[in-house]
Amino acid sequence: MHHHQVLAMQQCNRPLQLSQLISCTSYSSQNVQMIHTSLCASRPALNASLRTQQCQVPRISHQRRRVSNSRTGAEMEELEDVDLSQLDEEDLDVLFEEYGEVVLTDGKPRPVASDVDDDAETLTFAIALAEAANEVKGAEIQVLFVKPLIYWARYFVLATAFSKPQVDAIGRRMRDMAEERFDHSPRGDTKPNSWTLLDFGDVVVHIFLPKERAYYNLEEFYGNATRISLPFENRVVQ
Amino acid sequence: MCIRVLGASNRKYAHIGDVIIAVVKEAIPNMPLKKSEVVRAVVVRTCKELKRKNGTSVQFDDNAAVVINQEGNPKGTRVFGPVARELRESDFTKIVSLAPEVL
Repeated sequence: MHHHQVLAMQQCNRPLQLSQLISCTSYSSQNVQMIHTSLCASRPALNASLRTQQCQVPRISHQRRRVSNSRTGAEMEELEDVDLSQLDEEDLDVLFEEYGEVVLTDGKPRPVASDVDDDAETLTFAIALAEAANEVKGAEIQVLFVKPLIYWARYFVLATAFSKPQVDAIGRRMRDMAEERFDHSPRGDTKPNSWTLLDFGDVVVHIFLPKERAYYNLEEFYGNATRISLPFENRVVQ
Repeated sequence: MCIRVLGASNRKYAHIGDVIIAVVKEAIPNMPLKKSEVVRAVVVRTCKELKRKNGTSVQFDDNAAVVINQEGNPKGTRVFGPVARELRESDFTKIVSLAPEVL
């Protein structure tokens, strides 16, 4: 269960063995779902929109006991058989699967597959750019999957060129290939630079001269990014 | 300290993404930048709010710039603090890629 999902209990006419109220700690505007769980089979699932409009503060089961919190010394009501702090993601996931039903989603939920497809397309593009760099004899080409680290790009392609004309050649090759095959045109450096950057939106290409590659050391900065294996052998900078 | 805003003659104020000419007023010892050196820099954070087309605005707690060289590459290897994503539109994606956070 995602941390942003709110699991709310409906009071059922039958006495319940187990009841929980779990509230989300963080709010994600993109993917908010309100889930009602209905342990009582006699309650049919209502229309999603109706339910959200009539949604009230969920009522917790009557089965509680008074406990005192040893840490703070405060007395509070603890839910029977449940220690919320001990429930982790898997338990919540199980509960969700068993009892949960989607009540409200904001907007049309994209199927998970479309995300993977988008990524696959971008990955093909990134690998094609890496191959273009390889054709022009670029060295130490790396493709990093940075989507989990930053929101503004998905893949980084890093390459080393040994001279500014070579940087220019790699840049031109990549631009032409992107235009021809994928219909993307980059923003970024048009004149060859010791650090040339081509911004294709989801894929950002960094072409360095050997000194700058060592100086800026982007691999260390993005050390947590997964390296994508490339279909060709990498040349090493001597 | 800013001594000139590049981009137009007699331009009064610099915003995020503008290149400025600045002079170093304070420097810690044993650094490549010395006091009273004239440098180019890109403004990355401003206390004045930056309004975006979607109606939101972002403002930071301080004014900050990243020193760049003549080619437009940052002089240092790392950037401290968050930067605004408008830098990407101003073709400073290099700074964005070095930033710990982009807002």
